[in-house]
Parts: sequence; C-alpha cells; structure tokens
Amino acid sequence: MSSGMKTPVSVLRLPRGPEPNSRGFDPTSPRFIALCPTTLPSSSSSSGSADEEEQRLRAELRERFLRTLLLMTGKRVRFDMHEHVRVHARFGASDIDVLNLQVCDLETPLGVQREALLRSQDVIACSFEV
Amino acid sequence: MAMRQTPLTCSGHTRPVVDLAFSGITPYGYFLISACKDGKPMLRQGDTGDWIGTFLGHKGAVWGATLNKEATKAATAAADFTAKVWDAVTGDEVLTLAHKHIVKSVNFTEDSTCLLTGGNDKVLRIYDLGKPEAEPLEIAGHTSAIKKALWCNNDQQILSAADDRTVRLWDKNTKEAVKTLAFDASVSSMEYIPDGEILVITYGRTIAFYNANSLDLIKAVDAPASIHSASLHPEKDFFVAGGDDFKLYKYDYTTKEEMESYKGHFGPIHCVRFSPDGELYASGSEDGTLRLWQTAVGKTYGLWKCVLPALKAWWFNISK
Repeated sequence: MSSGMKTPVSVLRLPRGPEPNSRGFDPTSPRFIALCPTTLPSSSSSSGSADEEEQRLRAELRERFLRTLLLMTGKRVRFDMHEHVRVHARFGASDIDVLNLQVCDLETPLGVQREALLRSQDVIACSFEV
Repeated sequence: MAMRQTPLTCSGHTRPVVDLAFSGITPYGYFLISACKDGKPMLRQGDTGDWIGTFLGHKGAVWGATLNKEATKAATAAADFTAKVWDAVTGDEVLTLAHKHIVKSVNFTEDSTCLLTGGNDKVLRIYDLGKPEAEPLEIAGHTSAIKKALWCNNDQQILSAADDRTVRLWDKNTKEAVKTLAFDASVSSMEYIPDGEILVITYGRTIAFYNANSLDLIKAVDAPASIHSASLHPEKDFFVAGGDDFKLYKYDYTTKEEMESYKGHFGPIHCVRFSPDGELYASGSEDGTLRLWQTAVGKTYGLWKCVLPALKAWWFNISK
C-alpha cells in the first residue's frame, strides 16, 4: 500500500430512501405510538364526546370514500382534472395513500393509453355510472 | 491511520435541495427536514439520513423548512405563496398561512408557539399558532425580498437578511430596526447560534461571524469560491462552508485555517448545517441530494463504522 493512500470509512448500509407509493410517517414506529393520541374510543369525558362525534363522522366519511373506490373498480370513470382537462378511463386501483390512480384505456387527445397512472393531486373530481 | 471521508447520500428529491434544518435532540434522536424545488419537503432521521416521510400539500417549490426543537412540528415556506405548519409525527398538514408573494423563510420560537415568516413581499410576519385566524404582526422595512428571518435573543428580537444587501436586527415589540448591517454583495445565508450569541453570515466568498446582540464583527474568512452557506460547530472549534465549486470546506474557527475540503456533490451546495450533537453535518445541493459528512472522520457513528485495518478482511467476510 503506497503511503498517502487513505482508506475510505466503512458504512453499514446506505440511508433508506423514500417509499414510492407512500408518504411515510410509519404509524407503527415507536415515536408515532408514543406521541399520537390513540384512535381507539376511550371512556367518554365531557369534552371527549364532541371529539368522538367528529371521529365517528370522519370514520363514516372515510368508509364511504373507500367503498366508492371499490365500487369504481373496473368501471369507466370520467376524471375532471386541473387546466380544464377531462378524460375517461377504466379505473383499476389506487395506492395506499391515494397518491396515484391506476387506470386502463385512458382516452387522451393523443390517443388511447392502454395503461396509465393518474396523479391524485391533479384530479379534481371523478364520476361514474353506478 | 488516515481515513478518507465517506459521505452518505440521501436520495429521493427530484430537484435542487435549497434549505435544510435539524431539530434539537429528542428522546427519539434528532431529525432533519429538507426543502426542495420539487415542492415535497422530506423528514429524515438525523443521524442516519433514513427517510421518515414526505410532507405533501405544497403546490410549488419549497424554499424554506424548519423543525421545532422537539421535532413535533415542521414549517415550510413555498413559492405557492403559503407557509404551512405540519405535524412532524403524522405528516399531516396543520395550518396554511396565506401570503401575498413567495415565502422564503420560516422559523419557530423556542416554545413553538409563534412562527416567523419572510419572503418576496419584503414584510416579516409573526403568527401566533394558538390563534391562527388572527392577523399576524407585521414588520416592514426591507426594500427587497427577504431571504432568511430568524428569532434571536430569547425570541425578543428578529434577525433578517434580504436581497437589499442588509441584515437587520429588529425588536419584536417595538417593530423597529435596532441595528442594520450593509454589505456590498447579497447575503447568501445566515445561521444563529444562541449559545454564545453568534451570527454566521455568508456573502460572496466570505464567511463572517458577528456578535448577534451588537452586530459587531468577530472575524471573517475568505474561501476559494463563492459560498452559499456555512455552519459553525456547536463547540465552536470548526465551521463548514459550501458553494459554487461543489466542494465542502472545513475550517478551524480559532485559526481561520482551511483544514480539509471534500468533493462529492455534482452541483453547487445551497445549504449546510451541523447536527445538534456536532457529530455530522448535512449539505443540500443543486444535484438534488443531501449528503451527511462526519465531523470526526473514521469514528463509529450512525451508519459509519470504524473498522481497524487488521480486522478489515475478516469483517468483510462475516458481514456477507
């Protein structure tokens, strides 16, 4: 080994990068569990009942949203997006954080795209025939 | 035996990283937030660089990001004319504060009850996070866009740097400028060290250290290239700086001598900060990455492992 040649410091591994389909903030991490109030219904207190009512309504809305997504699967859906864009496609699925929507046969001015991924933040509304 | 620095590269951003900030030391370690032109600021574990989550919601480049001491809240400043406050544990957006122009800088008070913002509309704003609907306190005076605004002197005063080539010290209560420093070049960055009341300012190729109360110059150092950001080690024995030539420079604070320079980034360095324990420093670059660098090269810390030369071959074999 020639003098003056330095050995690079060893590393155990590289830093973990972002997950592609999730925004992170793992709810099973020790910090999350310790610092976030439990979502389980606790014994009601006077101020607790207003929170519980809001929690119940939120849970109901969330359930309705998820059931809508399920119902939409396989159907031809109209997506109204930003910049006055309106497209039709067959809805497949969304990812866990509803960041992306997987669709087939997306009708665009450039032709029909067999498989595509729509960014949820670009979508304003979606409508379909039940 | 001399060791060569192995920087840890944190990927994930898709555009230049323009700002970064560390939290204080919490029972869960310390954390790092990065502001990026891709509009998606990220939270990482401070000592490893591991990604924890991405704050989603901004509709434009994020120019400034900060964490409170406990790393329970985050704040971001963006080109979509808003500053946002986030829950840094769940990643949820807590508050959106509408501004009249691009917001460049955000800073919490020590107790995280107030947020200071500054940006292209040249006005400093103080928001009471307990009363978010109330109008913020406004401090006007700068004649150009504000680049950085920081609380100082136990949150009784404010330091601001703007494109009008001045750094101003304001009294929070009277809203008056107590002192003004004028430069002949644009100030590229500012760091406030409460312990010791030191202000680190970079402009042109200069890294200058000021007394944060009197704004008297303590010392100044010129680097080989234009510097965009510098940070002083908590123990005030070194400082690091980075800028246009893609390199990170490490200087002895006492003697002002350049000790080392490190290559690694593929673009100009926009921000550099020491971790709260001083064991590493993080740099953000035009190349879209954050890199973590060891202060004591070769020490076992975070993901870096000190391996003695005689044991090296043996260790590689058993680690496979």
